Amino acid sequence: MFFVKLLQDTLPLHPSYFGAASQQYITDLLYTRNEGKNTGTMMIIAIIDIDDISEAKIMPGTGMAMYDISYRAIIWRPFRGEVVDGLVSSVVSNGFFVDVGGLSVFVSKAMIPAELKYTVEGSTPSFTDNDDQTIERSSQVRLRIKGIRGEMGQMYAIGSIREDYLGALMQ
Amino acid sequence: MRLLTSPGLKYPLTVTKVLIEEGGEIQQNDPIFTYRFRAILREQYNADTGLYDDKEADFFTDFESELEGIVKSVDVSVGQVIKGPVVVAEIEEPCKHEVQFAGMCANCGKDMNEVTYSTTHTNSERAQINTVHGNTKLLVSQDEANRADDEAKRRLIKSRKLSLVVDLDQTIIHATVDPTVAEWQEDEENPNHAAVKDVRKFQLVDDGPGGRGTWYYIKLRPGLKDFLDLVSQHYELHIYTMATRAYAEEIANLIDPDHKLFANRILSRDENGSMSVKTLKRLFPVDTKMVVIIDDRGDVWSWSPNLVKVSAYDFFVGIGDINSSFLPKRPELEARPAKHTRAEIEKPAETDGSDTSSGEVKSDGSSKRSRSSTPASTPPAINGDVTAVERMISMAGKQDEGSMKEKTEEQDETIAAQQKERPLQQMQKKLEDAEKEAQTSPAVEAAAELLVGNGHHDLEPGESTPPSRYRHNLLIDDDNELQHLGESLHNIHSHYFAQYDNLNAAPQDTRITKLRPGGHTKKRSLDNLEQIPDAAVVMADLKSSVLAGVHLVFSGVVPLGVDIHSHDLSVWARSFGATVSDNVGKRTTHLIASPDRRTAKVRQAAKKGGRIAVVSQEWLFACFSQWKRVDVGAYRIHCEAGGSGKGAAALLPDGFERGEFVLSSSDEEAARTEDETDGSVTPTGGAPSRPLKPLEVNTADVAGDVEEDWAMHSPTVKREDSSANQEQNPEDWDDIKGELDDFLASGSEAGDDSDTESVGTQSTIASDGLRTPPEKMDRKRDYDVAFAANSESAEEGIQLRKRKRGALSRTTSSTKVVDPTSEPAKQVLGEPGGGSTEAAPDGDDGDDDLEAALAAELEADADEG
Repeated sequence: MFFVKLLQDTLPLHPSYFGAASQQYITDLLYTRNEGKNTGTMMIIAIIDIDDISEAKIMPGTGMAMYDISYRAIIWRPFRGEVVDGLVSSVVSNGFFVDVGGLSVFVSKAMIPAELKYTVEGSTPSFTDNDDQTIERSSQVRLRIKGIRGEMGQMYAIGSIREDYLGALMQ
Repeated sequence: MRLLTSPGLKYPLTVTKVLIEEGGEIQQNDPIFTYRFRAILREQYNADTGLYDDKEADFFTDFESELEGIVKSVDVSVGQVIKGPVVVAEIEEPCKHEVQFAGMCANCGKDMNEVTYSTTHTNSERAQINTVHGNTKLLVSQDEANRADDEAKRRLIKSRKLSLVVDLDQTIIHATVDPTVAEWQEDEENPNHAAVKDVRKFQLVDDGPGGRGTWYYIKLRPGLKDFLDLVSQHYELHIYTMATRAYAEEIANLIDPDHKLFANRILSRDENGSMSVKTLKRLFPVDTKMVVIIDDRGDVWSWSPNLVKVSAYDFFVGIGDINSSFLPKRPELEARPAKHTRAEIEKPAETDGSDTSSGEVKSDGSSKRSRSSTPASTPPAINGDVTAVERMISMAGKQDEGSMKEKTEEQDETIAAQQKERPLQQMQKKLEDAEKEAQTSPAVEAAAELLVGNGHHDLEPGESTPPSRYRHNLLIDDDNELQHLGESLHNIHSHYFAQYDNLNAAPQDTRITKLRPGGHTKKRSLDNLEQIPDAAVVMADLKSSVLAGVHLVFSGVVPLGVDIHSHDLSVWARSFGATVSDNVGKRTTHLIASPDRRTAKVRQAAKKGGRIAVVSQEWLFACFSQWKRVDVGAYRIHCEAGGSGKGAAALLPDGFERGEFVLSSSDEEAARTEDETDGSVTPTGGAPSRPLKPLEVNTADVAGDVEEDWAMHSPTVKREDSSANQEQNPEDWDDIKGELDDFLASGSEAGDDSDTESVGTQSTIASDGLRTPPEKMDRKRDYDVAFAANSESAEEGIQLRKRKRGALSRTTSSTKVVDPTSEPAKQVLGEPGGGSTEAAPDGDDGDDDLEAALAAELEADADEG
C-alpha cells in the first residue's frame, strides 16, 4: 500500500563541502541516499518535499557536520493480507516466484489451486490448468500476501493464489 | 511429529497429571502434563555453622508443548517416572513447514526463526536443502526433496530423458572482453574477419558510480546449435557456471533465445554457495542417478563419476591459458609462442605482443606466467596455480568493482601499449620479406601459423594482403568436439535406457500378477524408481572399455614434481580404463610423450621395438573426445628419433651404452639430422595445401627450429609419407628388426621346436629389452637368414602360419614390417650417419631376402585369411 509519510534522517556532511552550497549538498545527499531505499519494512518511492533541515552540529573527532532532516516521502509498504499484482520471475516445481516491486514473493504449491498443475512442456516450466489459466515466467499474477519478512535492503513474502479472483491476470 | 521432553529438564520427573487427550487440539506453549521433580533448595542461613542449609524438596511444574496441532497419541501416564528425554506425545501439525522461503514457511506464512522459551529446535532447521537453481532463499525439507526428486525422475523417465548439466566457459562457448574482436568484425579486410564475424557480443553494465559497461565477445563452439538441438531430445539441460548470474543469463539468451532448452534452469556462482567447487548435490540433493555433466574442468567437480570431461574450447588464442591449469590443449598452445620467439627475429617487443594479446579481464599474473614460460619452454602445465576462483573472477568478476576496475584499467593500458608498438606489424613485415624469398616455404607457413597463434592481433587492414590462405586457415574453427560429444551423450542415453528397460521389463510382470489391482499401480511406479540404473555406472562401463588393456606411461607431459597419478591427464585416462604407471615396463603399451623432447623414456620405449607406441597427447585427447580407441598411426611421434638413439648407441661399445650423457648428446645430433632430413622429405607426400619447396629461409638454425616445430604439429604428414621417409632413416630399420624379434619370439611361444635354440636367444633379447650388442646382432641376422630359408620350404608352412597369426594380431606393426622391405636395403645402409653396424655387410643380403619373403608370405596369408 502507498503512503505519504513524514520521515526523519540524520545525514553527515564532509567538511570539504562546508560553504554556501552546503544546503544543496545535503539535499542531494538525502535524495540519493533515500529514494528507492528499502528499509526492510517499506520502500521509499520518492521524496516529496523537505520539511526542515536542522542547524548542523559538528561531530567532535571527525569534523563531519550532522544534519537532522525531516521530509515527506511516498512510501510503499506491503502488509500481510494485502492483495498485490506482480510479475512472475521464475517457475519451479515447488511453486513460483513473483516480483512485486521490490518485494520478492514466493507462491508455493500448497498456495496454488489444485487444478493448476506443474508442467515442463517444451522445457518451459509453468503452472497451468490446460485451459485459460497459465502461469509461466513473465506472466502477471494477482496474489494475496500470507506472510512477510524483511531484512535490511530486501523484503520477502509468501503469497497465495488459492482464492477467488486471484491468479494469472488476463491480458 | 513426535514431541520429546528436552534434555535440560531436572530428571527424574514423576508425571502427576496428564492434561491432554488423544484427538484434542493444542496450541504452542499449552501444558501437556504436570510433573514433580526433586531439587535441592537452599533454605536458610545457619548461624551456628555459618553456612546455608540445603534441603531437598519436591517441586511441581508444567511441561509445555513447543508444537501445535492435533494430538495423535499420548505416551505418558500418571505416575510414570521419566528418567531422560522420552516421547511425550505424537502431534499432527497443520503445517510441517517443509518448504521455506526466506525464513518463512511457504505454506503457512509463519516466521520460521521465531524462538520461544519452550523451543528446542527452530523451525528453520526443518528445511535446509536447496533445490532451486536461481534462488538460495527457497529451502525444502528432506522429505520434500525426496518427493520432488521422485517426481522429477518420473517425469524424466516418462519422456525418456536424462538430466545434463552444462558448463559454459570453454565448454560450449569461449568468451573474451578484448575489443580487438570488434575491430576485426567491422574490418572486412582483416584476415581474421571470417573467423570472428559470427562472434556475438553483449554488454554488462557494472553497478555503481563510475561503473561502465563491459562488452563481452562470445564465440560459440562450432556446431553448438545442432548439438543443443540434438542433445535436448535426450536430455533436460541445466546450466551450471561459475560466472555471475547476469553473465550466465546473457549467454543463455545467446545460445537459447527462445528459452526452450534451458528455460530458467541456470545456476550461477551467485547461487552456488561455493566459489571454487561445483557439486551435483546443489542441484540434485537426493540422488544423481540420472545426471550427466559436461565440463572442461574435472577438478571443480572433484572428478565426479557423472562427469564427461570435454576438451576445453580455446578459440581466442592466448586467453584460454589463463583460464585453467590443466586444459589439454595447453601444452601445444604454450609451446607455439615459445618456438616462435626463437624462430622469428626475437625482439623483446614481440614477446610483449604475444603476451599483451592475452590482455583480457584476466589477471596480469597469468600473462607474467606465460612470459616467464616463453623463453624457458618450461613444462606446459606451469600455470597449474590458476585456481578456479581466479578463473571465475577473471571471466566475470563484476561483483568486486574495485578489482574489476583495476583490471579494466590494466587492460586499457596493455591495449594502448600494443597499439603503439604494433609488434605484429613488424613481425608481419619480416614475414612478408621472408615470403618473397621463399614464397611457399614451409617455414613461412609455420611462421604464419605461429604469428596468428601468437596474437592474432593488430593485423591492420593495410597488411592483410599477404597469404590470406594461411590466415584463413588459422583462426578457423577446427573444433569438432561437440560432434563427438553429441555422439557420446547419445550413446550414454541409449545405453542407459536399454539398461532401464532390461531392469524393468521382467519384474513388472510378476508384480502385476501378484498384486491386487487396487494397490499395484502406485507401488509399481515406486519400484520403478528404485530400479533405475545409475548414469555414473553406465558411463563408467562405457568409458572403461575405451582404453581397457592400455598401459600408459607419460614422459615429458606432466611437469616435474607433480604426482603422475594425481595429474588430470592420468585421472582422465584411468577413467577410460587405462592403467598408468611411472616407468616403461613389460606391460606398457603406449608412451605418451611430448613431441619436442626426446626423453629417456622415449628412447627406452623405442628400444622395445614396435611393441610400445610412442604417441603425442593428442592421441589421448582424441580417444577421450571420441570415446573410442583411436588408431595410433596418426599420432605417432619420435618414430625416427627413438630409433636413431638406438642406432647411435649400437655403434658404441657396451660400456658407453648406459652412459646417459653420451647417449643424449648423440641423440641430439641424430635428432637434428633427422629433422633436417625430415624437413626436406616430408613435403613429397605431404598434404596438398602444404608447399613443396625445400627450406631456404633464414639461417639453417632458425629453419631447423621452425621445421622441427612444424613437423611437431603435423604428425599426419609424417605418417602419410612414412614409406618414402623411412628409406632414408636407418633407425627404422632397427625398429623393424625389433619387431621381427618380437614376431619370432611369439612364434617360439606358439610351440615351434625346430629352431628352439636360436629362438630362445631371440626371445630373451626381445623380452629383456636391452640393446642388442653387435655380436648378437650378427647371430640374429644369421638366424634370420636361416629362418627365411626355412620359410620358403613347404614343410614349415603350417608353423609359419601359426607365427604369422601371432604377428597379424598386431596389425599395425606387421604392416610396418612390410613397408620398408620394398626399399632396397643398400640405400638404407648407405645413409650417412646411419645406425647400421659392422654387422650390416653380412646380414645385408639375407635380410633383404628375408624381408621380401616375409612380406610375400604375409600378404599371401592375409589374402587367405
